[in-house]
Amino acid sequence: MSMAMAGILIAIPASIFVLLALTWKMLPRGGDFLVVLGFLAVWLLGLGIAADFTKYFHEGVFAPNGANAFAFDWINIGDGLFHIQFSTWVDSITVVMIVVVTTVALMVAIYSTGYMRGEERYGWYFAALSLFVTAMLTLVLSGNLLQLYFAWEGVGLASFLLIGFYWERQSAAEAAKKAFITTRVGDVGLLIGIVLLWREAGTFDIQQIIEFAEHGGFNSTYLTVSMLFLFLGAVGKSAQFPLHVWLPDAMEGPTPVSALIHAATMVVAGVYLVARMMPVFDVVPAAREVVLYTGLITAVMAATMGLVSNDIKRVLAFSTVSQLGFMFVALGMGAVGVAMFHLLTHAFFKALLFLGSGSVIHATHEQTVEHLGGLRKKLPITTWTFCIGSLALAGVIPFAGFWSKDEILHTAMHDAPFAYVVLAATAILTAIYTTRVVLLTFWGEPKDHHAYEHAHESGWTMAGPLVFLSILAVFSGFVVFHSVGAALGFPGGILETVYTEEPELFHFDPVFAATAVGMSLAGIGIGFAYWWGDAQRAVRARAWAPELHALLVNRYYIDDLYQGIIDRVVLGLGGIVAAFERHVVNESGVDGGSQLIGWFGMRLKFLQTGRIPNYALAMAVGVVVLAVMAFRSA
Amino acid sequence: MSTSDGYILLILTGLPFVAALLLMLTPSRERTAIIAITGLSSFVMFALSVYVFQRYDWRSTEQFQGVLAWDWLQNVGFLGEHGIQIKVGIDGIAASMVLLTGIIVMAGTWVSWKVRQRTKDFFILLYIVVGGVYGTFVSLDLFFFFLMYETAVLPMYMLIAIWGSTRKEYGAMKLMMMLVAASILIFTGIFAIFTEANIGSFDLTRLYTAHYSREMQIIFFPMIALGCGTLGGMFPFHSWSPDGHASAPTAVSMVHAGVLMKVGAFAIIRLGIQILPEGAQFWGPALITVGITAALYGAISALRQTDLKLMSGFSSVSHMGYVFMGLGTMNVIGMTGSVLQMFAHGVMTALFFLLIGAMYDQSHNRDIPNFSGLAHRMPMWAIFFVIGSLASLGLPGLSGFVAELHIFVGAFRAYPIVGGLAVLTAAITATYLLRMMSQMFFGEFNTRWDMLRDVTWAERAGATVLVLSILAMGLWPSPWVERISTTLAQTIPGVSL
Repeated sequence: MSMAMAGILIAIPASIFVLLALTWKMLPRGGDFLVVLGFLAVWLLGLGIAADFTKYFHEGVFAPNGANAFAFDWINIGDGLFHIQFSTWVDSITVVMIVVVTTVALMVAIYSTGYMRGEERYGWYFAALSLFVTAMLTLVLSGNLLQLYFAWEGVGLASFLLIGFYWERQSAAEAAKKAFITTRVGDVGLLIGIVLLWREAGTFDIQQIIEFAEHGGFNSTYLTVSMLFLFLGAVGKSAQFPLHVWLPDAMEGPTPVSALIHAATMVVAGVYLVARMMPVFDVVPAAREVVLYTGLITAVMAATMGLVSNDIKRVLAFSTVSQLGFMFVALGMGAVGVAMFHLLTHAFFKALLFLGSGSVIHATHEQTVEHLGGLRKKLPITTWTFCIGSLALAGVIPFAGFWSKDEILHTAMHDAPFAYVVLAATAILTAIYTTRVVLLTFWGEPKDHHAYEHAHESGWTMAGPLVFLSILAVFSGFVVFHSVGAALGFPGGILETVYTEEPELFHFDPVFAATAVGMSLAGIGIGFAYWWGDAQRAVRARAWAPELHALLVNRYYIDDLYQGIIDRVVLGLGGIVAAFERHVVNESGVDGGSQLIGWFGMRLKFLQTGRIPNYALAMAVGVVVLAVMAFRSA
Repeated sequence: MSTSDGYILLILTGLPFVAALLLMLTPSRERTAIIAITGLSSFVMFALSVYVFQRYDWRSTEQFQGVLAWDWLQNVGFLGEHGIQIKVGIDGIAASMVLLTGIIVMAGTWVSWKVRQRTKDFFILLYIVVGGVYGTFVSLDLFFFFLMYETAVLPMYMLIAIWGSTRKEYGAMKLMMMLVAASILIFTGIFAIFTEANIGSFDLTRLYTAHYSREMQIIFFPMIALGCGTLGGMFPFHSWSPDGHASAPTAVSMVHAGVLMKVGAFAIIRLGIQILPEGAQFWGPALITVGITAALYGAISALRQTDLKLMSGFSSVSHMGYVFMGLGTMNVIGMTGSVLQMFAHGVMTALFFLLIGAMYDQSHNRDIPNFSGLAHRMPMWAIFFVIGSLASLGLPGLSGFVAELHIFVGAFRAYPIVGGLAVLTAAITATYLLRMMSQMFFGEFNTRWDMLRDVTWAERAGATVLVLSILAMGLWPSPWVERISTTLAQTIPGVSL
């Protein structure tokens, strides 16, 4: 096993995609077994690369570049002036991403064979899934920014195709469009940022750009602007304020897709990008501040919206947006290791929660929490695994989410006390909305008896991934410990391994941890107080402040604002330009020009009267004029 | 590419005319014969075009390859030694354009077999256009260049006025009047070049090495640029294009938007930039301004179009705006992007018109709001259309992105603000295309269109060829980039990288 295997990692899903896209109608079972086996191979290979990677630490070599094994020129103008090379780059950040992507992808593929059974375009679903994994792995293995952009758009395309999977539903088509256009706005920024960096550094290679920046090659204002443009791409992809609007709507896609793309992998691409470029962000602290505050605003805002949503998947979507905000706060403080740690644990427990909600939807064909209830008797495995995921999300010790969130809070306490306060409040909100969903779905009385009666646990293809992911949701947080990391072959815990420019040794602070757990438990307690049983207190709370409730339900009216801007401003401008085109350019300019010529023709033709006296008169006048002119000049 | 390959270039130019002649001799009721002649000749053209592109050696020090010349008129009147020659040869730019023509003519021929009205006459005129296009691309003599240029333009009037739809007479007349008016400017420019060079020859390679005063270049470059630019759909002289395309029959729209508009942009490079580089340098900023204005203007207009063909027409105005913007950057990266965009836009716009035609022939309706859920009834059609749209909005992996990337980068090198606006235009493009797709293709199927059937085999084959071209350039752009960028760097004096 060598780093060159990284190329094969991409090639496997890519070839499956091509095969399935062309032949899924002819293959037995739509070719799903190929995808499951392929993803299994990718997963094993990914773990192999991770294991292989540990060698570099023992040999004392860091930043191994497997690039040369797979590098090829894509475009080369002027002998290196405009040079784009496709290659693979593996370092500790990549390794974390590979583990996350391949693990969740495998679980989702297995789960989907149960969840998607009987769908009309079953094989196409798996083809799109392979396309996504191909693009995502290319993204995390990119050694240069242009290749990253290439893959960045590729995951966007896969996301578009899968959100719009049920395209007969107008809402799904609209959601797919919204996701594509919103992230496209971010991508405009990303591409501008990439080209601006290239303009000065003369290269797309990430390591060379970092080197150039660290040696003061950029003017600092220029670099700040470039990095902010770059960050706009991350804001779009990772659904951060103000481009967060697409993610809740993206829940129109099949639930396993939400788990893979819109919780665990694609939406963390922005986090990955900022983490990858952190050495450059370090050069311009102003840009890093923007990252921090964007994350902070998003974290708290999304959590409040999650508090009132009635759709089980949308609550999870708001929660994802909020948790991504946590990661960006960590990045804003320069704590790459911490952000990547939270990315890892979040991917597992959030994928678990989404797959759990999928199990509920599959069993009841219902996803409005107010119509669910009491399902714990019918769906025991789903209930308990969902509870594990929820505890991890709420941040209860010793579940995975606790360790990573605790690290973010810990870093904030030292670096940005203001952020600490906001995040702590958000953590409480997180515990509240999580508890709310769990109670409304699995406890209380069933509200829709028809749905309830028919509900039953699905087969092992769906239960298996839930159990596997819940194990990860419990234990994956332990990678923070030095001894665990060392036992796995790494030099230490995840914080010591990732981003080794600033290795941090994890210290467990019991008082701090107790405070954090206390906050989570308080949130859970509040949740119980309001939504336990018939949730009367929650109803009263809503009646107490209807305006506030409406504000949150309508997502602070930001979606409406954007819709208004598109309808009034963008389409209005389109109307003005189209009218200008029609009336000024066409009717006045072109048609008017031809009519003018016709008009002159109409008028001038009367000079040709056909009468001899008229012509004789004109001739006489002409002779006189010419004679006068001749005499004057003489 | 050896000199003997020059004969291939001659064959390529002559073949469409020969095919047209053969068609004239064929009785119009012999449909099989018509199909056989057009099918065979278009395939040979395609194969030879691929061969020419493949054989062009960009590593060679000689940029004009396959050069063959015969004197036609010399030492009479104002003509000196080698006054007017039949001279063929290509550079890397022309090689790409020849390939483009081959692809589009083959696909266009396949989908035109369904033309029922005066099929024979249709093909005769179409092939005269094609011959003119090839002739323009391979001519290295200014006289024949212009002759071929006009040959390609003039039959358009009849093709649109006879076989067109909606306001066909209006569209045909408008297109012809504007293009003929523009030709006057080109004509003036050509004689200015001839006079100033003072070598008594129309030989382009000799004209490249002649000396032109800076003043002359500055005065006459805009004439060439405006004259040829009108054919390229240059803002604000683009208005023939949406109307002309909306009323033209399918294959004519394909050839016109796909190839003929590129002849306009190609002529700017051949006559304007390669002969008058100082003039081009001087007017570069103006060209960029016109280009970015057109890009934004076309995209914003497209947002509000309800006729699918008009939307596509304004989309063309916008995409051709990128071409002029790239040319105006006057650096190799941006200009390479322009030529790449000519190819990329040619293929994808041909795909659009092919698909729109496939639907319009059945529905006789192109109003976007009238349709919904078409993917349900015409899945293959929808898939092809989505791929074309994704290429158009610049998705990496498809041809549009490669071209736009070069233009953006070139623009950023010249004027970062323009580069930023250009990238923004790509977002507007995404908006109007996605609005159209989500309205027309997705959602519940409107049963009013129950009689629609999916693309026929001929249409499917044509669309497949175009889609494969889009993918080829999108995934592996080097063959194009190498040929085009080397030619630009070596044939334009004083160009920056």
